[in-house]
Amino acid sequence: MNDAITVRCVCGWETTGPTEDVIAATRDHGERIHNMAATREQIMAMAVATPTMAPPSEAVIDTGTGGGAPRP
Amino acid sequence: MTRLADGIDVEGPVQAEVFVVWLHDERVELTGPCGSAPWMLEIGEAEHPVEVVTRIVRAAIGEPIVVHSTSWRRDRGAVILSFVVVIDPGLVGSMESEPVARTDLARSEATAAPREIAHTQVVEHGLRHLAWLVHDDPVVAAELSPAWAAALADYVPEPFRALG
Repeated sequence: MNDAITVRCVCGWETTGPTEDVIAATRDHGERIHNMAATREQIMAMAVATPTMAPPSEAVIDTGTGGGAPRP
Repeated sequence: MTRLADGIDVEGPVQAEVFVVWLHDERVELTGPCGSAPWMLEIGEAEHPVEVVTRIVRAAIGEPIVVHSTSWRRDRGAVILSFVVVIDPGLVGSMESEPVARTDLARSEATAAPREIAHTQVVEHGLRHLAWLVHDDPVVAAELSPAWAAALADYVPEPFRALG
């Protein structure tokens, strides 16, 4: 079992994966989408442990809010 | 940031609530990184709200056509500044989008704010504001296409329509 965690944003964005990847993804989401700066401690305080058997290579699952490639 | 049941959320004494609108087949739609839901931004103590909104929209979506603050209210333990941001249809991409539904405005009392204000009412007020700007502000009028002026025509009160 890996130490996966999940952090969710009220905007609907959510990320699950290893702790360091989730922290990096959450910081990026906060700064890029909400102009927020969050510390590691703040992010971990919001994280929920996620039981998963996913291997590390599947890493962060980003539900992906935030912007637009041009429409085909 | 605060831990809420629904997840992380913006906080701070001043927050921006962004409504990103675009024209889809001559109809106004709401979109953004949060879909049609209000897109919340933190405004830092030393930051100018318009600059923050423009910078974040530019980075997350692309170059906006118009960024305009249309109202404010007290909510979420903060002063919320509402912005209408007009974007080109080519920037919508995979973002969720929904048509804007008309609604009645939240009316103030003579010396007091409305007791409740729904997001749909904030959007309605914002689009009425934009419709007024199209007639009154040469900068906005120059930036918005005739298709926008037509789409906003129904948001203009009758006396203004007569003057148009």
